[in-house]
Amino acid sequence: MIRSKLFLIILLFCAASSWAQSFEHYLGDEASLFAQTKQINQFFRRFNGEESVSGVRFPANDPNYRNITVRKNYLQMIFDLESQFIDKEQKNEFIYNITKNEEPIFLDFHNGDWFAEVSTEFLYYGEKTRATLFLKLEEENQGYKWVITNVFFKPFRELFSDENDGKLRFIHPLSHELDFMNLIKIFKETGKVTQYTSQSYKPDYLSVFLYEVKKQNLIFQNVSGVKFHFFQVPGWYFELSEIRRSGANSGWLITGLIDFDESKKGELLKYIYYE
Amino acid sequence: MRSKIFLIVFLLASLPVVLNAQNNDISPARKQAIDSLALEKVRDLSKYISIIGSKNTPWAEANRVIERTLELFAEGSQMGVSSLYRPEIAYYGVRQYLERLMALNYDRVKIEWYDIHYISDLVRQPDGRYVGVITIYQKFEGIVGEKMVYRDTTRKDITVYVERKETQIGGRLIGFWDVLLGDIRVTETTP
Repeated sequence: MIRSKLFLIILLFCAASSWAQSFEHYLGDEASLFAQTKQINQFFRRFNGEESVSGVRFPANDPNYRNITVRKNYLQMIFDLESQFIDKEQKNEFIYNITKNEEPIFLDFHNGDWFAEVSTEFLYYGEKTRATLFLKLEEENQGYKWVITNVFFKPFRELFSDENDGKLRFIHPLSHELDFMNLIKIFKETGKVTQYTSQSYKPDYLSVFLYEVKKQNLIFQNVSGVKFHFFQVPGWYFELSEIRRSGANSGWLITGLIDFDESKKGELLKYIYYE
Repeated sequence: MRSKIFLIVFLLASLPVVLNAQNNDISPARKQAIDSLALEKVRDLSKYISIIGSKNTPWAEANRVIERTLELFAEGSQMGVSSLYRPEIAYYGVRQYLERLMALNYDRVKIEWYDIHYISDLVRQPDGRYVGVITIYQKFEGIVGEKMVYRDTTRKDITVYVERKETQIGGRLIGFWDVLLGDIRVTETTP
């Protein structure tokens, strides 16, 4: 419990730090542009040790390709070195784990277990409102595409929560004998209507969201931020954000790192999805 | 310039098509050739932007160059532009973006490239085309008379679509790789 609380706190701080930096300026000269992790693609290659310092991909038969020494150098660079929320020892343990001679771990673009969190702005009934979309890569026809898997939209969350005022509400078990005539009372009390659903009921916010988009009550305005969540290294979670600042330690960097028990993955995902 | 591109395209076509059967990836040698072709198109784009933005370019000529620029792009491509002081992305169609550039009417436009670019891997889409992203950094200066009136440094993340096409020449079916530019994300980096 303490552990789960701790990683929630760490995550919260990581998120706050990456958002604060989202719109800082690029100030880099050419040297820092070289060092900067410019694309997510480059993050993958650097993580795996698959490209030269100048950003040219090593052929798979090149002795430097996925070379442990090359990787170890790159891995130091792809962490946000100014983050107070990445424990140095934990980072070293992570690097040690993924660069073990006998069983090194690499990231795979196509392998799932990573997804995007995109902060967006919509007009909701004319009012600017933030929506967070979650997307993952999906295979189709031997190709790939990003698909929307989930959404966090505060107005919906508020609408579907906090209905419980202590009063027990239900449709009594002999309602069928009266042609469910009591439904009239149930649907009058619109704010409590979810209480009449099954205990296993979970609102499908994405469907509601798409419905409102189709009805043009939700109109897309802008993308205000993007970050990525990675679960590809067993027992580890890390967050990838774009850090815009001067100097070499900028671009797409690991801004949060947590080792966790695989059995707690569901809890962590719930937190990421704002559930 | 178009003939140059055609020449490159047909040179590429003469190379054997090597696809990795396991993951349908384009072979590294082919990828390198496609990268060069894509970079050539990006350079063409930069050159056209200089011509369109310059006051010395007659109106009719600027319009002709706009048409030529549009030929570099896949249909429906957009420019998403944000600046240091306005982080929200402003969306423009490519034609609209170029026409706005033409309306700026500097005497001269100076576009310099940082000696750095980054080319991503190509990833296959469900429609069989491949997509990649080229990141470049450009310094833009708008000059009126002898005075520089506007300067910015932008990062451009340029979508590149690569498609295998076929054409018939002298009764023979010849395959070639066509490269088109797509959406461009423009981010201002320094004042």
